[in-house]
Amino acid sequence: MTDRKMVTLTVEGRQVQVPEGTSMLEAAKVAGVLIPHYCYHPGLPVAGVCRMCLVEVEKAPKLAAACATAVADGQVVHVHSDVAREARQGVLEMLLINHPLDCPICDQSGECELQDYTFAEGRKDSRYQEAKRFNPVEDFGGDVLYVPNRCILCTRCVRFMEDVAHDPVLNVSERGDRAVIGKFEGQDLTHPWAGNVVELCPVGALLSKDFLNKARSWDLDRAASICPNCTQGCNSALESRDNVVVRMRPRPNDDVNKFFLCDEGRLNYRWLNRRDRVEFPHVRRADALAPIDWDVAVEAAATALRGRRVFVLASPSLSNEVLFLLSRVIARVGGAGAFRVRHGPEAPLDGVPGLSLRADRAANVQGAGLLGFRNSETPLDGVAAGDALLIVDEELAGVDASALSAAVARAGAVVVIGTTLPPWARDATVVLPIANMAEEEGTFTNVQGRVQRYLQAKAAPGLARPGYAAVGDLLAALGEAAVYFLPADVFRALAVAHPPFAGMTYETLGLRGSVVSTGAGSPAVAAAPT
Amino acid sequence: MSAAPGGSSAGPRLAALERAPRADARERDADYQAVFVGARRAELDELLTRYPTKMAALLPALWIVQDERGWVSEPAMAEVAAMLGLTPAYVKGVVTFYTMYHQHPVGKYFVQVCTTSPCNVCGAEDVARAFLQHTGAPDLGATSPDGRFTVIEVECLGACGFATPVMINDEFLESVSADRVPSIVGALK
Repeated sequence: MTDRKMVTLTVEGRQVQVPEGTSMLEAAKVAGVLIPHYCYHPGLPVAGVCRMCLVEVEKAPKLAAACATAVADGQVVHVHSDVAREARQGVLEMLLINHPLDCPICDQSGECELQDYTFAEGRKDSRYQEAKRFNPVEDFGGDVLYVPNRCILCTRCVRFMEDVAHDPVLNVSERGDRAVIGKFEGQDLTHPWAGNVVELCPVGALLSKDFLNKARSWDLDRAASICPNCTQGCNSALESRDNVVVRMRPRPNDDVNKFFLCDEGRLNYRWLNRRDRVEFPHVRRADALAPIDWDVAVEAAATALRGRRVFVLASPSLSNEVLFLLSRVIARVGGAGAFRVRHGPEAPLDGVPGLSLRADRAANVQGAGLLGFRNSETPLDGVAAGDALLIVDEELAGVDASALSAAVARAGAVVVIGTTLPPWARDATVVLPIANMAEEEGTFTNVQGRVQRYLQAKAAPGLARPGYAAVGDLLAALGEAAVYFLPADVFRALAVAHPPFAGMTYETLGLRGSVVSTGAGSPAVAAAPT
Repeated sequence: MSAAPGGSSAGPRLAALERAPRADARERDADYQAVFVGARRAELDELLTRYPTKMAALLPALWIVQDERGWVSEPAMAEVAAMLGLTPAYVKGVVTFYTMYHQHPVGKYFVQVCTTSPCNVCGAEDVARAFLQHTGAPDLGATSPDGRFTVIEVECLGACGFATPVMINDEFLESVSADRVPSIVGALK
């Protein structure tokens, strides 16, 4: 990049310098000018079929397609001149000839580029008097529904399946005004990353069945997040309505997931809305767990831990902050920590090296390893007789029942810090309710060792508190002097205590993250389960 | 005659027929017999030597299929795709792009009547109507009950000086008038 010759050009009166070979459209972005476009997408090969990005270039005989024209030195580009505007208005009028204009019932409404650009520079009325073409809605398989009447044939979906997913099941069928996106009978969009065509579609032609008719886009609250479903750590946006997460979408990050999110990750958000949550702290009174206030419960938990060796069984999807505070608990009273990872089939996206649905289906395996927790298929084996067993946000699904009851029987006390109360947790001494990842702020360390922040998307139920606050209070009750008001405070302490995180703060991480250092200069790699 | 062609509605009606293959136009994978065996396979192999890439031989390969079967079914598209190292979706995109590949079975004699402006002025619609009447084909794009004839109207056949030109399979007839139609059809029967 730095070796490339720089070219200077003027876009809408603003002079910019970009590397040789950059397209006018990308150069205009540098100048802060958005050139309207449909078929162009930075994650896909250039097609130049929609003609929406036509711009006027001084001394050029005709308009240029900004997505497919490389910049030249001294070029003067006009995006909003009368000529360019009229050309785009013509393109819009043609695109709208067969478009049903059914925005009031279209899921894309409010986040539709056809709607936006028509509003910005389209004609006020239509001159088209004839009947519109009609084609029925088609189920493309997977999570995708195709509404051909709304399609503008930009071919982003065709190019994604061919050039990025390397599973070319889509085509442009027929021609002229009869052209539609087609697929071969019996070959569906079953590729594990195929759902991205819904995000890539600039109009309401490709829709997610999962999100169909669920919410209007302008009613949604959006929070920058990290997909918690595997160790890849794809950047995502959690979109919620009335405190319910209704959709997870990819958020671009060139270093992690480009523009994409796999279907398994995208569709696995419902657990963030679970209604069977623990909403109050509980302590054991006689034979049953009784709800009680936080102060009493935290003190009871501290009492259970004091004078015992503690064995922490943590979820590998807890934040670095919570895991760090748990490691502090272990340091204070003595003991060890372990975690267990659920596995699933790996599913790479062929066109993007390094991007894959990872076999480890947990968000923070790397962070848990770096903070001293042991990766184990049978973590309960580490529980010694008389240990205080501290189980944090781990439901122990699929764990052998006899091994579980044996470990609980061996333990001198069981303290549960979690979001739900599985049957075995009813034997606990103390239960502290915490927020799930959508309800708190924190960081995960992904498979590359990249530490990335996620923000709160919704409120926690009842008296549940963020994990760092619950464990922080427990630490204070155990005598730790440090006080943590915010997750940023915890992270600052973590960065001081653990050299791989040295120098990192929430400010330096931003929303793109930074990679942990190992001293040797390469990102740390998690140890295999023992 | 069940339905007269002509008038402004003939075009869209034909388009609708072509877009939606009828139920009898579906060929199941289980029943499918491969086209490229024996002599047809040799024909394809020879064809491939004449093109720089396998992909470049797609159109002639599809012509072999249509020559053999009379139309190009979805299983046939899949076979062509396998032979040429393409995806079925790509082949389908090409087949549907070109109107001269049939996506459903047609009659033994495929009659194309030019009804573009100059021919229209010279009575092309009468010619098309006469073909429907004498072949027994119920409508433009539909096949006669005996399976022998399909009649469609086409845009310019490039013989405006000899209106009305008609193509029957690969035979090109010039200056066809409605009263010549019975003898033409009779010669084919």
